Amino acid sequence: MDNVIFIISALLTVTGALCVLLTKNVMHACVYLLTCLLGVAGLYVTLGADFVAATQLAVYVGGVVILMVFAVMLTGGPTSQSSNKFGIVKVPMMGNAKTYIIGIISAVIFALMAYKVLSRIIISIQAGELPAFTETVEKIGFMLVTDHVLAFEISSVLLLGALVGAAIIARPRRGV
Amino acid sequence: MMTLTSYLMISTFLFLCGLTAVIARKNLIAVLLGIELILNASALNFVAYTRFVNNNLDGHIFPLFIIIVAAAEAAVGLAIVIRFFQIRESIHIDDATQLQS
Repeated sequence: MDNVIFIISALLTVTGALCVLLTKNVMHACVYLLTCLLGVAGLYVTLGADFVAATQLAVYVGGVVILMVFAVMLTGGPTSQSSNKFGIVKVPMMGNAKTYIIGIISAVIFALMAYKVLSRIIISIQAGELPAFTETVEKIGFMLVTDHVLAFEISSVLLLGALVGAAIIARPRRGV
Repeated sequence: MMTLTSYLMISTFLFLCGLTAVIARKNLIAVLLGIELILNASALNFVAYTRFVNNNLDGHIFPLFIIIVAAAEAAVGLAIVIRFFQIRESIHIDDATQLQS
């Protein structure tokens, strides 16, 4: 089971990275980066780092890649409105068997990850005991407020500064 | 199959792809995508070493902060890209010549 997750995650990561490097279309590169980050989250799961994998999914896949897609759309992006031979304007980025194959592989790895995480909890529920908190979450929370509390506070200030700075930089100026 | 070497090979491959994207791509957003790949490679190295070498949880703290820094970097970088597009009407990397003397 672990080997299956490892092989699928490694394939997703490697092919995603290669496609980010090689595709011309930046929007497609963003989608390939998403599959690559999904693969890295699967690798974290095989390494036993479930909290890091969840954070990777939440912040990277849910936040950073969506931000990238918004930036691609705000800065023009692909402008070619290609139409097929029937004269119908194709909806951009909705075609293409490659996209659906990547999507199916991503769905499979997500199902495997969910199975791996949930199987122990389901077994313990069937045995009649409450599902225990996983070890790493509790320990990481403890370490964040004891050993690494300075980095924790500095990162909060860094996030605030980045937010304000991004808002100031991207603000439309009057008269320009 | 799941040894330290295989994880290091994957992370090296990620790093090389990211570095090549940073150097060779001509689109500002593609360069930012390359930076994300490099950050992920380093985070994967941290988790792999802490699993196979010393098995404590210190290596799980670093990826969290790497993810935080990557989020901040993406926000500021994309703001710069959008501002650059407002000024120059382009995101080609050769158009960024304003800081050259």
